[in-house]
Amino acid sequence: MGSPATVKAALEDLLRHQRLQADGPPLRGEDRWPRPLATGVREIDGLLGGGLPRGQVSEVHGPVSSGRTALAVSVVAQTTRAGALAAWVDPADHFDPTSAAETGVDLARVLWLRGGAPATAGLGRAISVAGTVLGSGLFEVVVLDLVGQAGEARRLPGATWIRLQRLIELQPTALVLLADAHLAHGPSGASVALRAGAARWSGAPGPGRLLSGLELEARSGRQLARAARFALPVSS
Amino acid sequence: MFGALHSVPLPPSPDTLLALAREFTPRVEACGPATVLLDLHGLARAWPRPEALGRALVEAARGRGLTEPRVALAFSRVAARLLAAGREGLTVVSAGQEAQLLAPLPLALLGLEPEKADLFRRWGLRTLGDLAALPAGGLAERLGPEGPRLRRLARGEDDTPLVPALPPECFDCALELDWPVEGLEPLAFLLARVLEPLGLTLASRGRRAAALTLELRLVDGSVHRRTLKTAAPTALPRTWRTLLLLDLESHPPRDAIQAITVRAAPTPAREVQFSLLDPAQPSPERLSETLARLREWTEAGRGGSPALLDTHRPGAFVIETFSPGTFKATAGEPTGAARLGLRVFRPPRPARVSVEGGAPVFVAASGVRGAVADRAGPWRASGDWWDVAWSREEWDVALFEGGLYRIFRDRLRDEWFVEGELD
Repeated sequence: MGSPATVKAALEDLLRHQRLQADGPPLRGEDRWPRPLATGVREIDGLLGGGLPRGQVSEVHGPVSSGRTALAVSVVAQTTRAGALAAWVDPADHFDPTSAAETGVDLARVLWLRGGAPATAGLGRAISVAGTVLGSGLFEVVVLDLVGQAGEARRLPGATWIRLQRLIELQPTALVLLADAHLAHGPSGASVALRAGAARWSGAPGPGRLLSGLELEARSGRQLARAARFALPVSS
Repeated sequence: MFGALHSVPLPPSPDTLLALAREFTPRVEACGPATVLLDLHGLARAWPRPEALGRALVEAARGRGLTEPRVALAFSRVAARLLAAGREGLTVVSAGQEAQLLAPLPLALLGLEPEKADLFRRWGLRTLGDLAALPAGGLAERLGPEGPRLRRLARGEDDTPLVPALPPECFDCALELDWPVEGLEPLAFLLARVLEPLGLTLASRGRRAAALTLELRLVDGSVHRRTLKTAAPTALPRTWRTLLLLDLESHPPRDAIQAITVRAAPTPAREVQFSLLDPAQPSPERLSETLARLREWTEAGRGGSPALLDTHRPGAFVIETFSPGTFKATAGEPTGAARLGLRVFRPPRPARVSVEGGAPVFVAASGVRGAVADRAGPWRASGDWWDVAWSREEWDVALFEGGLYRIFRDRLRDEWFVEGELD
């Protein structure tokens, strides 16, 4: 160990680095509430003022292949790599661990609840288990994947989303609804509408070609007035 | 003053002498299977005369079925032990008289090593008095520090303290009910009455419960027994009550409950040194409660952490128990960039694919239909030929109607499937 002055300087550097680093993990006892959950997509974070708000129900919706899942997985990646826990409630069992791992998700810190079995089938069970997970206070982000279930989701009582909102409004947890179209969001929750643009292909048509990315447009805010364009690469 | 109780023959069980000695004092030490030492300090009020205490010990031993108990009371541990082993009946030694009473006793009572015993025999030493009479300096020259030590023992001189044997810890709590109860709601209140004192007892001894066994004696005479373990030991009554009630929801007793007994398997309290610079970790108690509430999903294999398998087979993973553990920050390792991933169809959807020039031009499957606007592929992969072989030809296709999909042809069966949507 060096001299006391050297150690003191190194400790102050470390504290300065940790405390001032905006995307550093929240420290023990630190109030995480003011910090929005970064999505990992710079354009989306700029659109949302830093990320998804905590203690709120937010939604990410769009038609097929509009990047909804990619955005949700990116949020989970940011969360788990920072040491927090995430939950993915998946009533239709669509989550792909391989793609998630390539995006940087720490799979050991993800609780994946899969529908598709008799004991776990049905949207009602998924909503109920989402409530259990939200009420535990253990998870920084909970994704409820309702893509492909718009009809059934619309038949849910309106109080469903209010009840889920109430579970997290005093916690630093964000609930993200993935859906085909607008479903619900909390009073201060974000609503991100995604739309696919042109696909990007590498090389000329023929063997050896790859789908390299997809251009996307995101809209948010009152009447979806704010927009951002970006592109996402494709997992291998 | 110390007491020693020696049994000839051996007592029926090793704990017989300890239990007998504990009737007189909690500070007892076992010295082999046949002898137990007692610390008699502080018993003068109950037994003003040592002889009375000695006689009480003898009577108690006979009452426990010991036919020839030998009791000795002395002012050193070794004197009491040797006299109890070497003299029948009751022996009470005044201070300073130990050497005199020990002198005629055989040297074998010291429990010497065979080499030392043989050496002393060749020296002509037969009794403790013979050894005690030798000069300490001469013994030290010939045997090192061991010599004077043995001489002091032969004279009944011993400064070592008594190391008391700790009684086995028992953490259980029972409640006999005046009226049988049925249902979980009344049971919840009763469990609180049982778990609160148990938790306090554990916490006061610096212990936590690694497992809890609940025994419900039912009206029909049977016992409904459930044993639960948590991810981390805890002494919180609320956590255990929640876990027990959740378990009883899926494993209810078949009759009304007459009595409740809860037994804890104790373990030392967990010591964790937190760092100010590490992120907050989930509470193990809350994690256990949450996983217990999700047992319908976890027990069906539909809840947990996914873990990728080390194989080239696409989509190979297992579901492991959700146990995040302590977070280890990997400094400098960048987070992966956001990218389009797969929304997997489980199982893959059988498809009818029209092919021209070896490339798909039209795809029709459940929920997916349209002409192919653009494509990338084919990308071929195969494996596990030694087990359950697989071989596929993958394409990423964009449909005119919208949507990017990954489709593949199973080359072994020559069938097309839609694996998932790129989203």
